[in-house]
Amino acid sequence: MIVPLAHVLILSALIFTMGMFCLLVWRRNIIMMLIGIEIMLNAVILAFVGGAAHWGTADGQVFALFIIAMTSAEVSLALALVVYLHRRKKSVNSDDYSTLQE
Amino acid sequence: MKLYLTLILMFPLLGAILNALVGMRLSRPLSQAIACGSVWASFACSAAAFFALQGTARTELFRWLSAFDLNAPVSLCFDSLSAVICLMVTFVSGMIHLYSTAYMAEDKDYVRFFMLLNLFVFAMLLLLLADSLPLLFLGWEGVGFCSYALIGFWYEDEANATAGRKAFIVTRVGDVAFGVAIFWMFRLFGTVSISEINLMGHLIPVCTVTVLGLLLLGGAIGKSAQMPLMVWLPDAMAGPTPVSALIHAATMVIAGVYLLGRFFPFIGISPVVPAVIACIGTATAFYAATCALAQCDLKRILAYSTMSQIGFMMLGVGSGAITAATFHLLVHAFFKALLFMGAGCVIAAMGHEQDIFKMGGLRRNLPRTFWPFLAGAICLAGLPLTGGFFSKDSILVAVYLKGGPLYSALFALAEFTALLTAIYTFRMVYVVFGGERREVHTVPRFMEITLLPLAMLALFGGIINLPEYLGRPGWLAGLLAPLTGIEGVKPGNGTEVILQIVAGAIALLGLAIAHTRYGGGRWRTGERGLPALECNAFFREGWYFDRLYRFLFIRPYDAVSRFLWAGVDEGVFNNSVDALGNVTGIAGRSLGKWTNGRVSLYLASFVGGAVLLLVYFAWIIIS
Amino acid sequence: MEQVVFYILAAVVLIATLFSITEKHAVHAIIYLATSFFALAVIFYLLNAPLVAVFEVIIYAGAIMVLFLFVIMMLDLGHPEKLLLPGMRDWGPALLLGLVTLGAFVTLVLHQPSLSLNANPVTIRYFAGVMFGKYGVAVEIVSMQLLFALVGALYLGRRK
Repeated sequence: MIVPLAHVLILSALIFTMGMFCLLVWRRNIIMMLIGIEIMLNAVILAFVGGAAHWGTADGQVFALFIIAMTSAEVSLALALVVYLHRRKKSVNSDDYSTLQE
Repeated sequence: MKLYLTLILMFPLLGAILNALVGMRLSRPLSQAIACGSVWASFACSAAAFFALQGTARTELFRWLSAFDLNAPVSLCFDSLSAVICLMVTFVSGMIHLYSTAYMAEDKDYVRFFMLLNLFVFAMLLLLLADSLPLLFLGWEGVGFCSYALIGFWYEDEANATAGRKAFIVTRVGDVAFGVAIFWMFRLFGTVSISEINLMGHLIPVCTVTVLGLLLLGGAIGKSAQMPLMVWLPDAMAGPTPVSALIHAATMVIAGVYLLGRFFPFIGISPVVPAVIACIGTATAFYAATCALAQCDLKRILAYSTMSQIGFMMLGVGSGAITAATFHLLVHAFFKALLFMGAGCVIAAMGHEQDIFKMGGLRRNLPRTFWPFLAGAICLAGLPLTGGFFSKDSILVAVYLKGGPLYSALFALAEFTALLTAIYTFRMVYVVFGGERREVHTVPRFMEITLLPLAMLALFGGIINLPEYLGRPGWLAGLLAPLTGIEGVKPGNGTEVILQIVAGAIALLGLAIAHTRYGGGRWRTGERGLPALECNAFFREGWYFDRLYRFLFIRPYDAVSRFLWAGVDEGVFNNSVDALGNVTGIAGRSLGKWTNGRVSLYLASFVGGAVLLLVYFAWIIIS
Repeated sequence: MEQVVFYILAAVVLIATLFSITEKHAVHAIIYLATSFFALAVIFYLLNAPLVAVFEVIIYAGAIMVLFLFVIMMLDLGHPEKLLLPGMRDWGPALLLGLVTLGAFVTLVLHQPSLSLNANPVTIRYFAGVMFGKYGVAVEIVSMQLLFALVGALYLGRRK
């Protein structure tokens, strides 16, 4: 491996943190929240691939692939929901959809 | 003897219980008959026991309190002192029961009234017959309670209830002193039997005897309405007139005198206590006589006069003359009950009007009331050869013979008080009964008939203890001599005659003064009689003692209790409990804001929780 | 030499992601994100995973980001002045939690004993063998999941 695993993991941690940061800062905007989730998932993919490269097995890469596939399915559904909600209230502000409150 | 004693107590108690339980269901005559009959039966038993009496009789009825060292059985002591007083109490109570059947004829609460009267008689007899201190205290408290219940008999009127409360609370102050004395005596002597304690006075230092005696005196002045605990007696006239006659003239108020007389062998050991008793008695007598001069309410005059006469009795006890004090006690009971009952007739005739200046001319309207009333009045004033004359004079002789600067001063003050007594008594008679005829209601014949026996006893009661120069020693003195333990100094015959002449002259002087001021309707001229004495607020309000007590005791107590109620109880306890509840509510509501249905908040909470877990794992891994 | 490239690409990823998350205009944010994905793909290639790199570019940067753009344009969300912008009460907890997380991760990573294995690179043949062999069922399930997503998206998106 060209760099120690620790460096890869630290990079992954940084990206994950930034993704979480985006999620928390933009938690009123549904679109930006989804983007934050994408960033976090990418960080995880990087960690898997780094692990696969370190131990020389293919399992990490297989799992990275699965994550990519699953993400695409999830994003399509999520955006379909966003379209649906927008049709109802003309807003992507997550605070407007609070009818489940106690 | 034991049977007689038990029956003396049981009859009134049974009467009270019967009336309490089934009185409402019985017809009026029957329940009244039960009440009167039980008291007269008690009188019969007292008479029988008196005649069967030889020396002192002590019986024990049954075990009552006994635990560890304390042994207080229900034991009764029937000696000559309690015998004569029992006879007097049952007789006067019997007459008053009969009188009140007519007086309370229109009252629908008669069952409660007679039940309380019977209960009172029971408690009083228990007090008189008790040989152990707890039993005496039981009777003591019993009469206090019945007095409270009877003063506030017409409780729907707030003033009556307040008067009852005042009586109870003020006598309670004295009872605390009495209670302390009981506990202390038990601690010192290990026994609560009165006869035993009386014998043990020599075993303890004199200052202890002094303090114990003063504590007993404290209890006595509460019950007998002496200074400084006398403020309740004038207000106690809010009760029905038979109650005033029985309780506040003849029986309860003498309980204090009886207590001191009973304990005289004990407290006589200390030289201080009798002197204090005498001073208090004289001071009260003087105070009450000055106040009685300025009263406009008939019953209040009689209340103050009771206070004054009991002061005389205390003076007798304080001079060591138990016989004289008992003599005056008996005769006073007769004529004071008579005066109160007569006053009841007058008040009923005037349609429940009690202001003497609205009365007048009743001599012609109510002759059958006037003559017994006059008999009582001349006994009270101490006109020569009446029972009151002999009894009051025997006290004054005893005081004179005691000698010394203190007793001489007391003697002079007592003679002056006797003058004042005569003045206010005849003032009362002239204003109520003198003058022209007026319109009155009719008075039931029965009420006036019951006045007669008491009038006879008052007028001729002097024979029970005639002075020695007439030949034989007085009967009462002989009866009580073995008891008193301290023999009074026997007066020389000459001294006694001179003193009697002086006393008689004073009484006649008082009559003359009253005649010049009030006789013949002279008080009608001018406004309300003489403004110097009547309506003089200082004397009429009892030297403003009520106001003084209100300022010294009631207002601070009120302030403290208000603070403790509003400040501590409401402010601290209630409010803190409320605040606790509020805090819980607020906490709940604040936590409830966490579920506002918004994804933003949930997301932040979710991430926060995940971070916490992460940090925890990191922590574990590192350490 | 490849180490230097790795670090440069790592820097690109970080800077692009940073711009992405602080950008108010959604479309600009997505473009930055696509840039970061490209750099990330090259990192994957450097880590002996060319297949993952390719798939990252095609599916992630190609399909998913484009889908985002479609939705944004369809819903006309490209006007940052109309949106609710994050204020201080959003930045505060985010910064706090983010820094704490970062601290935790870095501590965890650095706590491991560092071993460097020099393993053989993974060939695509070997990779396919593992995926369809050991994880064959997972492949089937993922494909079914894609079917479900398709059906779901169709259903949610239809007009009544």
